[in-house]
Amino acid sequence: MNFARHAFLIAVSAFLALASSHTLLAQGADQQMLLHPPADSWPGYHGDYSGRRHSPLSQITPQNVGTLALAWAFQTNQTAPIKSSPLLVDGILYFTVPENIWALDARSGHQVWHYNKPTSQGEHIGNRGVGMYKGYLFFLAPDAHLVSLNAKNGTVRWSVEVADVTKGYWTSMAPLVVGNHVLVGVSGDFDNLSGYIRSIDPETGATQWQWNTTPPSGTPNQTTGGMTWMPGTYDPDLNLVYWGTGNPTPVLNGSTRPGDDLYTCSIVALNPDTGKLVWSFQVSPHDTHDWDAVETPVQVDGDFHGEPKKMLMQSSRNGYFFVLDRTNGKNLLTAPFGPVNWTLGVDAQGRPIPNPAKEPAPDGRLIAPDEGGMTNFRSPSFDTKNGLFIVDAHPSWSVYFAKPADGVYGWAGADYDVWGKGVIEAIDYQTGKIRWSHELGPESGAGVLTTDSGLTFTGDGMGNFLALDSSDGKTLWHAGSGSHIVSSPITYELDGRQYVLTSSGGVLFAWALPQPQ
Amino acid sequence: MQQGSALFRKDCSFCHGRDAGGGESGPDLTRSKLVTADVDGDKIGPVVRNGRPDKGMPPFDRSDQQIASLAAFIHTQLNKALASAAGGRGSGGRKGVDVSDLQTGNAEAGKRYFEGAGGCATCHSPTGDLAGLASRYSGLELEEQMLYPRHAKRKISVTLASGQTITGIVAYLDEFTVGLIDSAASYRSWRTRDVQYKVDPALNAHVEQFPKYTDADIHNLMAFLQTLR
Repeated sequence: MNFARHAFLIAVSAFLALASSHTLLAQGADQQMLLHPPADSWPGYHGDYSGRRHSPLSQITPQNVGTLALAWAFQTNQTAPIKSSPLLVDGILYFTVPENIWALDARSGHQVWHYNKPTSQGEHIGNRGVGMYKGYLFFLAPDAHLVSLNAKNGTVRWSVEVADVTKGYWTSMAPLVVGNHVLVGVSGDFDNLSGYIRSIDPETGATQWQWNTTPPSGTPNQTTGGMTWMPGTYDPDLNLVYWGTGNPTPVLNGSTRPGDDLYTCSIVALNPDTGKLVWSFQVSPHDTHDWDAVETPVQVDGDFHGEPKKMLMQSSRNGYFFVLDRTNGKNLLTAPFGPVNWTLGVDAQGRPIPNPAKEPAPDGRLIAPDEGGMTNFRSPSFDTKNGLFIVDAHPSWSVYFAKPADGVYGWAGADYDVWGKGVIEAIDYQTGKIRWSHELGPESGAGVLTTDSGLTFTGDGMGNFLALDSSDGKTLWHAGSGSHIVSSPITYELDGRQYVLTSSGGVLFAWALPQPQ
Repeated sequence: MQQGSALFRKDCSFCHGRDAGGGESGPDLTRSKLVTADVDGDKIGPVVRNGRPDKGMPPFDRSDQQIASLAAFIHTQLNKALASAAGGRGSGGRKGVDVSDLQTGNAEAGKRYFEGAGGCATCHSPTGDLAGLASRYSGLELEEQMLYPRHAKRKISVTLASGQTITGIVAYLDEFTVGLIDSAASYRSWRTRDVQYKVDPALNAHVEQFPKYTDADIHNLMAFLQTLR
């Protein structure tokens, strides 16, 4: 081989190496990544499509987690608490608070770009994060617009209205990207409005389909409501999207909406290509307590009472833990995971039967759980190693009121929390029994992440980040964060180092094992 | 005012309700003693700027002018609520509870429950700690106090490794740290792993009562407590 030829080959290989790394960088969140997220990615709200928030990463273990240290922190310098789960794609983290997106270098936590869309319209209650398709981000602003941005630099490609903010809608959820569909949900509870899931073309912003939770507002004897506050999950083999729907409206007065109020407080299975309903399971028929059923529908494949099953699990705000067969929506298990006093039992289909005597009344009704529910937006996790469904629970009691003078529009009543506490519960999905529990004090804790190494990451109600032993719930590590934690942790591996990302207040924290400087 | 309304909608309404009538995690401001006592934001301002970290309310960095407009909006909502207390409100926000709503119980039955099945008399006395109760609290506030006095001070005793015992009022408690206000009004804290501590369990009786109550028990107890003037 002569020198020229040798040099040429070196140049070619260098070019190829550059090209391939460039291609890798330019890919963004492609179909392959969303279906099988690599260790150095977290391309959707739940990480992968299953909703399990369980990672195969095992560098951080029960034995070494005690030495976990801060790798970096990022300050938003905003008062809005971080409620989003960051995405990680191609070494860049993307996370949000209402009106704002940040892109950070995941190695150092320094800002790459910041996007701000100031608006006084719509409720600014929180934002769950962005969705990603190839090199494009999708962000729902409080004014009910879906904004698409170039992930490289945060420039806006287009913005489309997904709901009418002047009617009382707003948006706060993290879009779920499935194939060439950007699935968005809507928020609203103070007006009698219909909830829906809309599928939007990631290239053009055009609406592909819309599935309505309830009949149009004003239909006699029919409910409104069923907001779609949180991202669902997706089973690529069955090609079904699973989504939890919100409570009916009027919220605390059910007199104008007799019957079950479909499809509010339900888990629905939709075909993502057509928006057609394939099956539904209602976890709270005729709800009058604001217990939306938008908590993550978690997919688990495994044994149920000796038979292999494709299951869907939800720890619902109404206080019940459900296991369904996700091929057809048939109920396998319904069990309370804390005090509940609002039912007359469970019907033949596995649905709790609401006790009419526990509907809100003029002189008050004592109800468990409280309106915030036995759990809420905080993500649960399924620990595949121990077969445990781990959730931040909130045993609680409250008083609910409603009288004719409160009317039949929007809230239509009043309710007051009396007492509650936070507990991390590990539920045996075969029986609904609580295998272990970890008390968190008088407030609800944080969302949950589990790892294959046997760790449960979460937080307590006082602002401590916690790492627990997944087998028994014992504390192995903690760090005070200085503010309330209202998010769910994520994890990834970069440059051979495993990071756990948590947030509290307006600060994002990255934790890792110490490394030589 | 217009600005106050927009600011409220953006930063406050999810927790305190669109019309300040209470929300998912924040109290009804139209029934707040602090709001009633506020003049031009002198009470509201410090709460907005400092937050209530113990209750999950974040601080908001707002100018004097913004505080004034927020306070003006909240006072307008208070006046609206007072004006329409009898007739119900037109908006879709959260509603309230009036003293007259809580008068369905039977005081005699409440007294029997207090002395008997309710077990209240184990810790409380109508002529002792509860004397004049109905003059201090009324309506919903009385009912909330009755079910669980969430602001009650909790006594604690901490025993150090040396064997010394320190008593006081719980100031902070989590899995890792215990803090109290001692008899000299000083804050003192320890790692929980280094000490033994015991919180007075008296309040637990309120929690244990929740699953035992019928709604009629609660209404009867309310009727009885309202006689303690």
